[in-house]
Amino acid sequence: MKSVRRDILIGLVCLALAIALPIAMPGRYVITQSTLFFIWAIVVVQWNLVLGISGIFSLAQMALFATGAYATAMLGFYWKVPMLAAIPTAGVITVAVGMLIGLACLRLRGPYVALLTLAIAQVMYVLIVNDTDCFTTVGGCMPLFGGVRGIGQFGDIGLRALFPSKWYVAHYYVGLALLAVAVTISIVVIRGPLGLAFRALRDNPGYAMSRGISRFKYQLWIFAVSAFFTGIAGGFYAIHFRVVGPTVFSFSTLLFLIAMIVIGGLGSIWGPLLGAAVLMLADEGMRELSDYRNIGLGLLLAVFVIAWPNGLNGLNGWLQRSRASRD
Amino acid sequence: MDVLIQIVASGLTLGAMYAVATIGLSLVYGSLNMLNMAHGAILTLGGYICYAAIVHAGLHPALALLAAALVCALVGLLIYFSAALPLLRAENFETNIFIATIGIGSVIENLMLKGFGPYPIPQPLAVGGQVVIGNVHVPLQNVFILGVAIVLMVAVAILLQRTSTGRAIRATSMNREAAQLMGVRVGRVYAQVLALSGALAAVSGIMISSIATLTPVMGGDPMLKAFIVCVVAGLGNVYGAVIAAIALGLLEAATQYVLGVRWSFATLLLLVILVLIWRPYGLFGKQQVVRL
Repeated sequence: MKSVRRDILIGLVCLALAIALPIAMPGRYVITQSTLFFIWAIVVVQWNLVLGISGIFSLAQMALFATGAYATAMLGFYWKVPMLAAIPTAGVITVAVGMLIGLACLRLRGPYVALLTLAIAQVMYVLIVNDTDCFTTVGGCMPLFGGVRGIGQFGDIGLRALFPSKWYVAHYYVGLALLAVAVTISIVVIRGPLGLAFRALRDNPGYAMSRGISRFKYQLWIFAVSAFFTGIAGGFYAIHFRVVGPTVFSFSTLLFLIAMIVIGGLGSIWGPLLGAAVLMLADEGMRELSDYRNIGLGLLLAVFVIAWPNGLNGLNGWLQRSRASRD
Repeated sequence: MDVLIQIVASGLTLGAMYAVATIGLSLVYGSLNMLNMAHGAILTLGGYICYAAIVHAGLHPALALLAAALVCALVGLLIYFSAALPLLRAENFETNIFIATIGIGSVIENLMLKGFGPYPIPQPLAVGGQVVIGNVHVPLQNVFILGVAIVLMVAVAILLQRTSTGRAIRATSMNREAAQLMGVRVGRVYAQVLALSGALAAVSGIMISSIATLTPVMGGDPMLKAFIVCVVAGLGNVYGAVIAAIALGLLEAATQYVLGVRWSFATLLLLVILVLIWRPYGLFGKQQVVRL
């Protein structure tokens, strides 16, 4: 029970600090960057469930994020669905896509899964970017998925109209609330029976399966659970930036997010969040040297995997152990 | 008939380029169980070194090709000593080396972006002229690429089948522990394989850039295709990879002609997804029975 209590404590402290942030630092730049941090943190926390907890080496998370974002935008653009309904619908669509990908990966292992999921993401990207046929001519020629330019003008959740000058603060709190729910879900999954099953399948699949844990059932579960909030995050991203384009598939975003997980600590509860925070800050620091950003990211990623495979979170455990041995 | 010749000519060229890019990846996976995500960046580096050696250092094209292969072999060695060697001692090698090489690839790619700029540069190592088959004009460059690729593949086959180094490589990829017990220095095999793979990547990078142009990000696409070839053939199966590479090259040329360029990559990827679901261990791969 102790670890759950610790998780709740850490969570509440972080939540309180995050709630207080817009009051302490009301600058627009800080608030919008923090909102972006919330979006990436949601994706990373959900990705960690697949990658770290169940040990399935899926790189499809950005494709799922894009699915959520595109589904939201297209529901709004083509069917004029109000955004408050479109985002949850996009979440459900993402779950369906996630489960399909999970099904396709079911018989594969290790690096084959990584390659297949990377290939799926690449197919989506190529098909969207190379599509130049006009699907609709409302407001100029637009392909079905928006092509290179992406989709815009699909509506809003209304916070911009409600708080004309402070809408970004409102978005900040929406992002924070979504992140809080996503983290809670991930804690419930990791600490609960589901997480136990996932870890058993990851650590010793043969033994786990002979004890009656169905790999089929749990692999679909994990893809479904992690897809839902990733899709919601994608929808929120669409609304926040008012446009969805193929840049969400870019390799540097994938690199950025996977670096967050690895640097924070693969498979831990708070590691990915910590990694997301550290990398967002480091990214701000490297903004001056924008040319070197990806070099720095790549180096960090390689160095952490090689020297500290457990990430910053592992560093914390190491500190605790060394303190315990001193006492 | 002319269309068929056209498709076969460009398909064979594509297939030859993919095959050279794939042999390296496949060798590395076969012996180390390592998916080298930096392969695309090394391939691009080869193209740029060749360009720099010809244009800036004024070397003879043959020497420039050699220089590029050497530099990329060194990069392969560097990856072995800095990443693969320390990671082999820890757990989860397959996952960790995948992530680490993503990082290394990004570093190499962005260093090239910094050094050579983002604009496309033509590859100076090119052969002019063309041969006429029927009514089809086939550029001499394509014939040249096919020739170099065949020479390289024969050389690699001789290396693998006829030399003691090759025997050690094959033994390691069949069964690492058994090879080690028989006195094969596995560490040296790993280093050799990574260096060889780097050199082959350099040559394929030069070939690809001589048909298209040199850009810092040009490696990503052939790398993904090389991975597709590897996966379709079964990871680590070198001879299967050559067959699959040529088949996929022909298929790509055919889809480009029939459906348009837009669909060629998507068709390839769809194919790999289907193959993986149907035969998860690849077309030529052996089904591995895991004993618990």
